[in-house]
Amino acid sequence: MANECKIGVFLCECGRRIAPLVDLSQLKEQLEGDPLIGYVGVEPFSCLAPGMASIKKAIADNGLDRVVIAGCEARVMLSKFEHELAASGLEAGQIDIVNLRGHVAQVSDQSPEEKAAKGFKLIKAVAAGLEALSPTAHEKVEFTGPAMILGGGIATYSAAQELSRRGIECIAAVSTDEWEDEIRMLHEHYPGERHYYDRLEAIMKEVDASPLVRRITVGELTSLAGRTGGYHVTFSDPMGGPPRVYEVGAVIAALDGQMLNQGSNFGHDGRNVICHTEAEEMLWTLGAPEGKVVFWLNDYEAGHPEYCYLSSRAAWSMARYMRERSPLTKVTMLYNHQMAVPLSAGERAASRKLGINWVPYDGALRPTVQSGFVTYCDPEDHLEHEMPWDKLILSPRRSVGHEATKVAHILGLEHEEGAFLEEHKQRVRPEQVGRDEAYLAGSARYPCDLHEALRQGRRAAVKTAEMVAKATAGELFAPRMVCVVDQSKCIGCGLCKEICDCGGIEPVEGPGGNIPRHVDPMVCTGGGTCAAACPYHALTIQNNTTSQREARVSTLSKALNPDEVVAFGCAWGGLAAADNAGVKGMAYDPRLYMLRVSCIGQLDPSVLARAFLEGANSLLLIGCPPEDCHHSYGLDHTWSRVNLMKKLLALCGFDRRRIALAHADLNRPEEYIKTVNSFITTMAELGPIERTLENQEKLAGLYATVNSPRVRWVLGATLRRPWEEVYPGNQRNALAFDRDMMGVVSEEFIKARVANLLKEQARPFQLRELAAALHEDEKPLMDSLREMVGEGVVGRMHKDGVAHYVMR
Amino acid sequence: MLSLTIDGNKVEAEAGWSLLDTARQNGIEIPTLCYHEAVEPFGACRLCVVELRQGNNSRLVASCVYPAEQGLDVYTASEKVNNVRRWILEMLLSECPASSEIREMAAQYGVQTTRFEISDPEQECILCGLCVRACAQVVGANAISTVGRGAQKEIGSPYLTPGDDCVACGTCVTVCPTGAMSARFERVRGVPSVVMARSVKR
Repeated sequence: MANECKIGVFLCECGRRIAPLVDLSQLKEQLEGDPLIGYVGVEPFSCLAPGMASIKKAIADNGLDRVVIAGCEARVMLSKFEHELAASGLEAGQIDIVNLRGHVAQVSDQSPEEKAAKGFKLIKAVAAGLEALSPTAHEKVEFTGPAMILGGGIATYSAAQELSRRGIECIAAVSTDEWEDEIRMLHEHYPGERHYYDRLEAIMKEVDASPLVRRITVGELTSLAGRTGGYHVTFSDPMGGPPRVYEVGAVIAALDGQMLNQGSNFGHDGRNVICHTEAEEMLWTLGAPEGKVVFWLNDYEAGHPEYCYLSSRAAWSMARYMRERSPLTKVTMLYNHQMAVPLSAGERAASRKLGINWVPYDGALRPTVQSGFVTYCDPEDHLEHEMPWDKLILSPRRSVGHEATKVAHILGLEHEEGAFLEEHKQRVRPEQVGRDEAYLAGSARYPCDLHEALRQGRRAAVKTAEMVAKATAGELFAPRMVCVVDQSKCIGCGLCKEICDCGGIEPVEGPGGNIPRHVDPMVCTGGGTCAAACPYHALTIQNNTTSQREARVSTLSKALNPDEVVAFGCAWGGLAAADNAGVKGMAYDPRLYMLRVSCIGQLDPSVLARAFLEGANSLLLIGCPPEDCHHSYGLDHTWSRVNLMKKLLALCGFDRRRIALAHADLNRPEEYIKTVNSFITTMAELGPIERTLENQEKLAGLYATVNSPRVRWVLGATLRRPWEEVYPGNQRNALAFDRDMMGVVSEEFIKARVANLLKEQARPFQLRELAAALHEDEKPLMDSLREMVGEGVVGRMHKDGVAHYVMR
Repeated sequence: MLSLTIDGNKVEAEAGWSLLDTARQNGIEIPTLCYHEAVEPFGACRLCVVELRQGNNSRLVASCVYPAEQGLDVYTASEKVNNVRRWILEMLLSECPASSEIREMAAQYGVQTTRFEISDPEQECILCGLCVRACAQVVGANAISTVGRGAQKEIGSPYLTPGDDCVACGTCVTVCPTGAMSARFERVRGVPSVVMARSVKR
């Protein structure tokens, strides 16, 4: 690595928790003898004021620009060091912590010298990772232009109100200029909200009068490009003119879901048996009906008991409206007795006064609609009764809706087809992500009532306003460890976007294929499974790159004894469990050397391959519990990568068990210990990989194979989410798919080895010579050579009638 | 530079260091429970008390929050200090008898039993609030706090139901001095059950 840097290591004594258990003087001596390390200090407590002062002095005196603290848990202490050492010019990424106390000192009965040796290997690996770091500048985020509220949902108004109250200019893209029309049509999305109309009108009037809010009527949203702080939003012109482009700093989406009518299985006919939206329309056009009105709250029967609260509130509101206006109407609410009647004490009294009858039924016997009657089973006496009706009003079906889906798709908010837009919130520390959520409001997010939709709008506006205020003050920075795209390498395949849920990966312009991507640094959480999946290594996590992890793992692998094991621990699972085992002083096999990653999914297959190439005999990956990934399905994606490694190890003739994926719950360190001990026992049985020339050649081939775009492509297509049942290429058969995958991998493995050999020797080879050198049969070699010649990678020439192959 | 004596040894300190910082820098151990290097000192558990002597006067202060001052005469393990620590540990034994960490620490000071009433033999938590401070200051998530008052006070998320704010990083579990957070953590993390949106999702 060409990085000029000076690395300082600070060893903590930590009272008596490290010092007498680890021979720190030996460790210091060893580290001082290492060319990589520029300075070594020993502190009683690095983390306390005296220790911190002495570290700062050492940094200034020795010109250190990378620091390794060999102390305790990085998860707990790293932020303090980053905060304190920022004044010394060290940014996040330039400081790393080795948990000498929790991973070395407290967890085994090794001698202090042995522990010092273990600590040395770990510290050196971490230092190598720091050496490979090229720190980036702190990226300031600025806002250009006003905020835009689009999507046309009713939350537009509450968001605009909040923004204008906070003095932020905004553009509200709405479908109609007249707010009266909005209220007239509101029941299409939010039926039974008449009691709210006065309040809504007040909001609309305020927005109307505000000089900060500009209302525009536009056609369909066609594209969104840019990133937090500077977007280009394009709409089609409603009058058919040229597309209209707006430059805005922030985007809030106000999207209302769609209300659908029940099907004919509930007897819906649109005239006498109707749903909520039709009932509201009837109230608008014809007024309250006379006669017997029955609200059947059929959400349980329609398969969505979770919506019964919303439906029953809307029904209650309509029922009250009808009774208050028409004394001749007789209203009954027919509800499943599993449902709690959602009325306050006051409302119950009002309901009694108005004579609204709430009748429960036992859903075990499904009510049936007949002309003029509904039959239902009384939960008290289990007799079947018949309830007469003139109008039967059913609960609506709720869906995200076609319109909202289209907009969400363009905004990158859609994460599953047909599902509501409520996000799977990435549960990461606030410092790891610039923005904590997508600014989305309305019932397309999840079914809700008008009050909730408006609240969401206000909340999105508050969040936007806070961000703008921070940016104006010049204090808004993107997190340092986020993904960036090398535009020259990106071919725009979109694999990264497909597998990562964070929503930060966007095409550079407009939707469509083959357009290079970029990453919104304010949305990316730095999980990095996208970076590990990129077939062309176009995506990297800045300040936390794959080459840093490769440097770490190769330094460690070179230093390890044959019976020792390299492990990667995810900060949310394996690493945290190891930390907690250390806190409790639980003993386990000391031959485990754990490196820290922030998500197990950021381990590129090349990192895994590099470990074996550089001398590791086994590799254990410990992630967090299944379905619990804090980023985007890191454990599931790693499963696919480990599977690839297993196939390749088998092709090399090694035991497939040498790499294993595990998961650990941070709160169950005893389970973690079982995992570690079991893996190390198995590895002890296997013994080390013989480091013969032949085996090293194969491992070099393995490393080249996992970096081959074709293999990475196939692998990328297999990075599945747990619930997906169809394999790539629409294959449902897991076995058939696995065979295809194996075929690709073994082809590329041979090709990689041929290429390695031809490159290394730089002379023409006959097929026979190649077969002998690679210890392979001629047949598969011939197939690979033919392909490589076809691809133009390898040149073929004939000498004495025999084909010779040479690297081009 | 300030100079003071701790346990009769002359030591030096910078302005702004606490007595605990200064003692630890000089290899003098002071037991703590509610103290953690990653967060601001809080002085809740009082186990880190030390004696300050001045002529015939002497007083006890919590060393984690007491700043080093010129000419102080500090004793970290005098009879008076140890007596207070024994009292504290005896009270803690009745407060949280289930914690093995507390029992071990008490045993070191020769406290085996408690004369105070044990209201909950299963209790491990000393309510020092270290987890709460770590969640706020280290993680920045503010997912947990003390809930309830007086005898009902406990550690948890709002309404004692899993909330959206917890990122399940486990920092609270790692810093907990008594191992009590381990059980409480299960009620803090996890998918919140109250938000209706969750039931909409797969």
